[in-house]
Formats: sequence, structure tokens, C-alpha cells
Amino acid sequence: MRRAIARVTAGLLALVAVGEAPARATQPSDAFLRVLTREEVRRLPIVQAEAQEYVPLDEIARMFGLSVREDRLAGGVTVAGATGRQIILTANQPVVSVAGRLVSLGTGPVREGTRWLVPLDFLQRALGPALDTRMELRRESRLVVVGDLRVPRVNVRVEAPPGRAVVSFEIRPAAPARVALEPGHLLVTIEADTLDLALPRVSPQDFIQTIEPGPSPTTIRIVPGPKFGLHRATTSQSDPAASRLVVELLPPGTEAPAPAPPEPSAAPTPPAADPLSLPTPGVRTVVIDPGHGGDDTGARGPGGTLEKDVTLAVARRLRTMIESRLGLRVFLTRDDDRTLSLDDRAAYANSQKADVFLSIHANAAARPSLRGAEVYYLGIDPDEADTPGGSAGAQLPALGGGTRSIALVPWDVAQLAYLDESAALAGLVRQALGERVELSDRPVQQLPLRVLVGASMPAVLVEIGYLSNPDQERALASAAYQDQVAQALYDALVRFRARRERTATAGDQAQR
Amino acid sequence: MTRQRLLLILLIGAAGVALGWVLTTTLSRTLQTTEAAPGGEEESEPDPSPAAPPEGTDPAVPRIQATLFFGSADGRGLVGVEREVPFAEGVVGQARALVEAQLAAEPPDSLVRTIPDGTTLRALFVTDRNEAFIDLDATVRDRHPGGSLNELLTVYTLVNVVTTNLPDIQRVQILIDGREADTLAGHVDLRRPLRKNEALILTP
Repeated sequence: MRRAIARVTAGLLALVAVGEAPARATQPSDAFLRVLTREEVRRLPIVQAEAQEYVPLDEIARMFGLSVREDRLAGGVTVAGATGRQIILTANQPVVSVAGRLVSLGTGPVREGTRWLVPLDFLQRALGPALDTRMELRRESRLVVVGDLRVPRVNVRVEAPPGRAVVSFEIRPAAPARVALEPGHLLVTIEADTLDLALPRVSPQDFIQTIEPGPSPTTIRIVPGPKFGLHRATTSQSDPAASRLVVELLPPGTEAPAPAPPEPSAAPTPPAADPLSLPTPGVRTVVIDPGHGGDDTGARGPGGTLEKDVTLAVARRLRTMIESRLGLRVFLTRDDDRTLSLDDRAAYANSQKADVFLSIHANAAARPSLRGAEVYYLGIDPDEADTPGGSAGAQLPALGGGTRSIALVPWDVAQLAYLDESAALAGLVRQALGERVELSDRPVQQLPLRVLVGASMPAVLVEIGYLSNPDQERALASAAYQDQVAQALYDALVRFRARRERTATAGDQAQR
Repeated sequence: MTRQRLLLILLIGAAGVALGWVLTTTLSRTLQTTEAAPGGEEESEPDPSPAAPPEGTDPAVPRIQATLFFGSADGRGLVGVEREVPFAEGVVGQARALVEAQLAAEPPDSLVRTIPDGTTLRALFVTDRNEAFIDLDATVRDRHPGGSLNELLTVYTLVNVVTTNLPDIQRVQILIDGREADTLAGHVDLRRPLRKNEALILTP
């Protein structure tokens, strides 16, 4: 009897021991994730495994006082914090349970020897909800903001038009900023707890020598060049989510400077007395996205024509037309044959504050008979708007004291706010395309397209024809067809601009 | 003697606690997961006929009628085709049998394949929100011919084959090599579960 019990116990122990996973090829990298709390800045090491970035779970547990219980038999681990909410992780499973609710991560946690590694978004998507604390992951700046800290992202751009230097600060979310002339430099101070700062590298010029972080975490120092005499600062807020400070470094004696500097994106805010003189909500900036590129060739026609080449050619033609005839700012997400992620394309349009985003593609089907152009705009599940982090509000400190509840729109569903306008734009593109080239029998469609999801402006994806059809492949590669498509998109843009201006005027009149 | 008996009782108690712990932690898992093992060794779904291969023509395996999807003759949409697929106990097992049948199925003469040849199912699980996660190997992306329409048909063949045959499942998310994927070929957003797409289904 006793022997039998001993055997059972030994068997159980053996089962527990079998759970040991083989060691994985991981590399500790020099990288750190900075974790910002109101009290301090702490660091979590970033570990590379299979070309993905992870953070060791034990380090996270130590930092946040979590209890971690491993269940080797089931290949999982249970994490619990002070709130009592549990997170259940399973090795290599990109879905974790947080207090019984499922949350998907970019990649599953992995077990490396005796250590568990979790992807970076674990902090924002699983740990934040479990601890009932806002945790914002900013991958680009390797930063996690914990709690209600104000840490605006500050993008700094330096331009050097003849006779001056222009330094612009885009502050997102918006925060007041001021400039003071101090001995030897200009000091920019932004009202926040600390800054998530992206500074450009500046080569010393006539009006600016360098730009660097200032003496405190919320300041930036601009060191002027030899020809600097005086500065001029303008602030503006072109959208509710971001503010902008433009500092011009001018030669001495420029007392009455020329009217408004040619800085179209700055949209300087005039005296707010007359609502009609506010910036018109027409179209000032267009971002054109030539689909695919680099390693990603996109579709290939039977004759070898590549989608990535056709889309770039049409985008360039369209840019020339818009620039020369409308005088708008036009940017391409890529102007050569390079690989670019879908996120970067929409993010670029957002950072340029584009009023319209046009993604250009060429289609392919399994049968060669299909032909014609199509236009798509975003279609997303109605209940997607409230997926993890979607509608969660945040308590943010408000100017003048107190806090204010703000609905945070996660960047990955930014397009939701523009669906109506995107649908209108799609309608105009369809109409204009139909006047110049052949349409397919499903010319407008609403689809869950990745490149459009994050765009914070009216956005459509245009399929300019089928590369899988031999006739259309020849056409798509020809200058004549590319010109017709570019002309059609240009026409659609002109009509869309007119529509926006009309809507705005009507809105103003209704207000009076 | 009494001390020995006490020791025995203690040992039994300890073993019981250990077993209980193992059982509860395993049960506390909210995911019903089955690995797509080629031998059909399925642990989480009790099956009256064990050792039954998931594929094949074994007449002993009960079969059900199901709708599989293929590209239409003109290539512009999906066409549902009735086929027999192996019956499996439970939603997870049946979803797996359906996806495996879809991946292996050869289209009837006039229709076309929508999923790259050689794509295999790595795992399939269903969440308590009635979302199925289909984990495929990278063939589905690496051998994809590209083009929005081709990509739409691939994605919605998989989404539709599960949601059409298992109405309990509302949404389907496709994973590649166990990871959340951006897209298959640069267009359709795979980071969220997708609902059935009726618009792509053509009536023959």
C-alpha cells in the first residue's frame, strides 16, 4: 500500500519535471524599456528571441509586486497583482486571459529555460487592465507610461529656408509651450510631467547650431548660429489632439518681418474673433501611398509587370498634377522601391496632418477574365469600436487644476471617425474613374483594410485595374493609362475639396 | 502502528491535494485548445472511437455534410460546395475537421482553389466569446499570389467555412505560425476576428 503511494507520488513528480522546455536561442540586447511612473523612471531589459522583442516576466513581477505561479504541467503561468485580478498565460499562445476576459497579444509568451518572456504589448494590453492602471506602450520610443502622467510626444523638425531657420515642435497630445531667450540659447518649456522627445540631428548652419534636451525633463535648448539676431514664436492648434509651436530664428533687425511665413502645415491660428477666418477645412495636404514596394512586390501580371512599380508610377504622376495645378502639399509614403510597413504608411499621413489619404494598388484574381478599377473604404465590425482599450476613458490632469475624463481613441481604429467622409470620397473616386477608365462590376466596396485603419483623415484604397488580365496588364504598364488614372484621381480630389468647403460654409451659416 | 497509519493518511492527503491542484489549474484555463497533431491524437475532446484519423476515407469514421468554399469560375467570388467531412465531437474538434477538409479539398472542375496549396493547420482554438482562432503555417502567406481580391477570397474562405457550418461561432481570426499577423498579402487586416462575409458568396 505504502509502496503504491510512493509510486504515485514519484509519478507526479516526474510529470512535473517533464515540463522543462528546451533552451531557446535568446539574446539579451542592450535595449531597455523605460517605465515612467510619477515617482521615478525604471528600466526593464528587452530580450530578443526569434526576432521578436520580449521582457522577462520575473522583472515585471519584481517591478510591480506581482505573484507569479507557474503550472508546468499545463505549460502556463498565472500572474496576480494587488487587485486580485489574474492573468493566465500559456506558452506560445498569443491570447491571454485577464480576469476571465481574453486579450490578444502581438505574439505569445515564450518560456526560456526557467524564465518566462512576454511581448512588450503585454504591459499595455494585459497588465494595465489587471492592475486597473493606464499603461501606455510607445514602441517607437521604448517607453511605457504608467498612470495619469502627461508625457506628450514631441516631434521636432528643423528647416532652413533662405535667411532664417524654422524649428517646429509638434506636441501630441496638445500642451502649452513657451520660448524664452536665455544667455547663449533659446529655452523651450512644455507644460507636462516629462517629454517623449524626438530630436533631429542638426548640422550647424547660419541660424542654428544645435538642438538638444534642456536642463530639466520638460525643456529643449536651441543653440542659435552666428547670424542669429532675434526669434519669433507662434503657437497653434490645428487639431484637438496636437498643438504646435514654431520658432523662427531670424537675422538681426527684422523688426517688421514679412507676412506669414510660408509654413503651410503650421496653419497659424488667427485672432479667434471671427469664426470665418479660422482655417478652412478644405484640403491642404494630400498623402499618396503607392502600394507595396521593396521585397513586397504585390501582385504580378502574367507578363511580369509588378504591382509595386505600377503604383509608384501612378502616384508620381498624380503628385505632379496636384502640385502644379492645385498648389497643395503632396507627399508620397515612398518615392522609391522600398519596403514599408502598413502602419508606417498611415502613421506618415497622420504625422503630415494629411487631409486626404489615397492608397494606390493594382488587383489580381485567379481568373484572367476579371478587369476594371475599384475603390475601397474601411469596413469594420460595429462592435470593434469597443474592443480592448477602445472606449476606455482616461483621467487626465486638466489645465488649471483638477482632472478631466477624455475618451481615448486608440490609434488602431482612428479611421472610424472619418468613415462618412471616406465613403463620400470613395463615391467621388468611383465617379471620376468611371469617366476615364473601365470599372469592375463591384466598383465600391467596404472592407477591413489594414492600411486604412490607422489613418486619421478621409482615406480610400484604389485598385486601378487587374494585373491578372493580360490587356489590363499592358494598359497598367503604359503611360497613357497611368495618366488617365492619375487624372481621374485628380478630378476626384478637386470635387472632394469643393465638397468639404461647401459643407464647412453650410455649417458656419447654420451656426449663425 | 498508529504513527504509521497517520503517516499513510498524511501521504494520501498530500497526493490528493497535489492532484486537485493540477486539476484545478488545468481547468482554470479558459482556452479550449487542441493541437493539430498529424496523428490525430486528441486529448481534450473525448472521442468514442479513439485513434480515429481526422482525414481520410476510413468508413468507420462518421461523416457529416458541410459547405466548403472555392473560387467561382470567373474568379470574382466564392461558391459553396457540399462535401462530406469527418464528424468530430464538440465545436473545436468539428471546426478543426472543417478547416482541415477545406485545406485539403480539391475544387470541382470549373472552380478554383483560394488557399495556397500545401497550407497546413497548426492549431485551432475557440474562445469563450465564440471566436475561433485558426493558426496556419506560413505557407498561406509565402505562397500567396497577391492582389486584394485573391487575398479576400483566401481569408473569407476560412472565415466562411467555419461560420457557415458552425453558426455558434461568430467570428474567426487567422494566426500565422502561432502569431497574430498583420495581413496575408498587404490588404486585409488580420489583427481582429472577422465576421462572415456574405457579399463575396455568389449564387451559382
